[in-house]
Amino acid sequence: MPSVHFEHVSKRFGATTVVEDFSLDVADGELLVLVGGSGSGKTTILRMLAGLEETTEGTIRIDQRDVTALAPRDRDVAMVFQDYGLYPHMTVRENLSLGLRLRKVARHEIDRRVTWAGEMLRLEPLLDRKPKQLSGGQQQRVAMGRAMVREPLVFLFDEPLSNLDASLRAQMRIEIGGLQRRLKTTTVYVTHDQVEAMTLGDRIVVLADGRIQQIGKPIELYRAPVNRFVAGFIGTPPMNFVEGRVAEEDGALVFMAEGVRVTLPRERTAPTMGPGPVTLGIRPEDLKVDSSEGPSAGPPQDGVPGRVVLVERLGGTSHVHFDAGPHRLLASVSNYRLPEVGDTITVRVHTERVHLFVGDRRVVS
Amino acid sequence: MKLLGRIALYAGLTLAALTFIYPFLWMASATFKPLTEVGTLALFPENPTLDNYRTMWARAPFGRALLNSMFVAGTITLSVLVFGSITAYAMARLRFRGSPILNAMTLGVLLVPGQLTLIPMYTLIVQLGLIDSYAALILPYLFNATAILMMRQFFLQIPQSLMDSARMDGMGELRILFTIFWPLSKPVLSIVTIFTFMGSWNEVLWPLLVVREQQLMTLPQLLTVFSLGGGAGSIGVSLASAMVLVVPVVIAYALLQRNFIESMASSGVKG
Repeated sequence: MPSVHFEHVSKRFGATTVVEDFSLDVADGELLVLVGGSGSGKTTILRMLAGLEETTEGTIRIDQRDVTALAPRDRDVAMVFQDYGLYPHMTVRENLSLGLRLRKVARHEIDRRVTWAGEMLRLEPLLDRKPKQLSGGQQQRVAMGRAMVREPLVFLFDEPLSNLDASLRAQMRIEIGGLQRRLKTTTVYVTHDQVEAMTLGDRIVVLADGRIQQIGKPIELYRAPVNRFVAGFIGTPPMNFVEGRVAEEDGALVFMAEGVRVTLPRERTAPTMGPGPVTLGIRPEDLKVDSSEGPSAGPPQDGVPGRVVLVERLGGTSHVHFDAGPHRLLASVSNYRLPEVGDTITVRVHTERVHLFVGDRRVVS
Repeated sequence: MKLLGRIALYAGLTLAALTFIYPFLWMASATFKPLTEVGTLALFPENPTLDNYRTMWARAPFGRALLNSMFVAGTITLSVLVFGSITAYAMARLRFRGSPILNAMTLGVLLVPGQLTLIPMYTLIVQLGLIDSYAALILPYLFNATAILMMRQFFLQIPQSLMDSARMDGMGELRILFTIFWPLSKPVLSIVTIFTFMGSWNEVLWPLLVVREQQLMTLPQLLTVFSLGGGAGSIGVSLASAMVLVVPVVIAYALLQRNFIESMASSGVKG
């Protein structure tokens, strides 16, 4: 079965370490997404798997076979590039079939696969055109077709949607996901876009500075990020963070910061939390805005008073930016009764869903 | 007013063009004039004749020299393109030990004037026993640093993803160079072709040094020996032999003109 294994893989360019002790198993048929900011090492990892970049240390296996020292052509992997990498002087058909011709695949078999990929990706009317005559989305599909006709053990995608406009990106994202589920080919997909990662990945690997931050199913990363980086990276709009302390008050644990006070549910607080500084993380949709002025209903301690500084109306939901003491926070609310800029509001915190971080690590389970 | 300006502009340009082309046209027409007419400035001979060409052909082996020139310039051009692009590809796109040194040395070659290497090169050819051979004419020009640097510069601009795709498709480096890079590098390849071919075609000094056998002489060499040595006898015959030298270059230029101008514009190379 074509599974992929990275075993303690490192990559250094001179004195710069780009990937550090990277170990990962990709299951057969899985769509695994590597996500991270620029410089996180995600593309380097993919290129090492493709054979386009040498590893400094470690072993890469595909289908149990050690491929670390093999040339790209001997690894039986196919890759889709960010700028597609289509040969400009060849027609779509030639672009699709070149890899097969070089591998001396029989003519009728090449025709069969090109037709198959052409049908699947709706490329038939374009087969005799040159890449320059195609739109971005069509070029993208040709690039995918070129990978598909190879019928490789593993598909590699290197930010394939970055050069497309937003609506086309959403559409192609769905197509890629659908295609992968139909073909069931083991896939490693690199992106900096966490929406792509969340929607496509069976599992996601979050990377920063060449190290794995967390591996998990999309919803796991969203609900239980292991550290501040993952918490801030996964989710749009991003999680709010407030620096403060936790103290015991009347038998309850309370998070306190200037202008923010949140009573924590006792059963969710880890005993390891010391008296030092603590960061509270709360997702924008877990903040509820009471736009009514004056004293709000309910006990005052679970409400955060704030002043609205910006309202972004997105249609379905809106983003309310407000200042709570010195902290600029963001609440994601439905459009029913939106506050105005300058309003004083009380924001209720969904205390069951707060995250607490000591240093960088999350301490609430 | 606007129309007048345009007319003036075109008149000026036409005049300039005529100034450039008139001497050439005059030369071309003079080759068809009998000796008595050569002194006039007229562009059309009153009694056209092919005598000048006949005389020229009869007095020296120009046919053979034409073939020699084509063989020498053709071989050199092919070699500069093939080996030069291989070197340029390695310098532009491959990481290997010593590549900065290779870069610096190639650039260094440009800094050494040709005149300086003429005598050492001559000595070398003598030592190798290659005097009076095609090898003497061809060998020193198989590589050309300017061509390598021009191609290298062009290759640097070809997107990395094309190389990556080609590698994933299973190509080796030579195949990437000749099936991907070459078709995409037509502008630079044609400018290198023209420069190399013309440079080699017009070369006189080096052949004069290393070839004395008339059967091996290149066209400009034979022409020089013929005209300056007094073999021509008349200006008409001299001009006729010059025409034979010029016509192939004009044809080559006409064929590659579009690429030539394109690449001049894109590469910023001044002739």
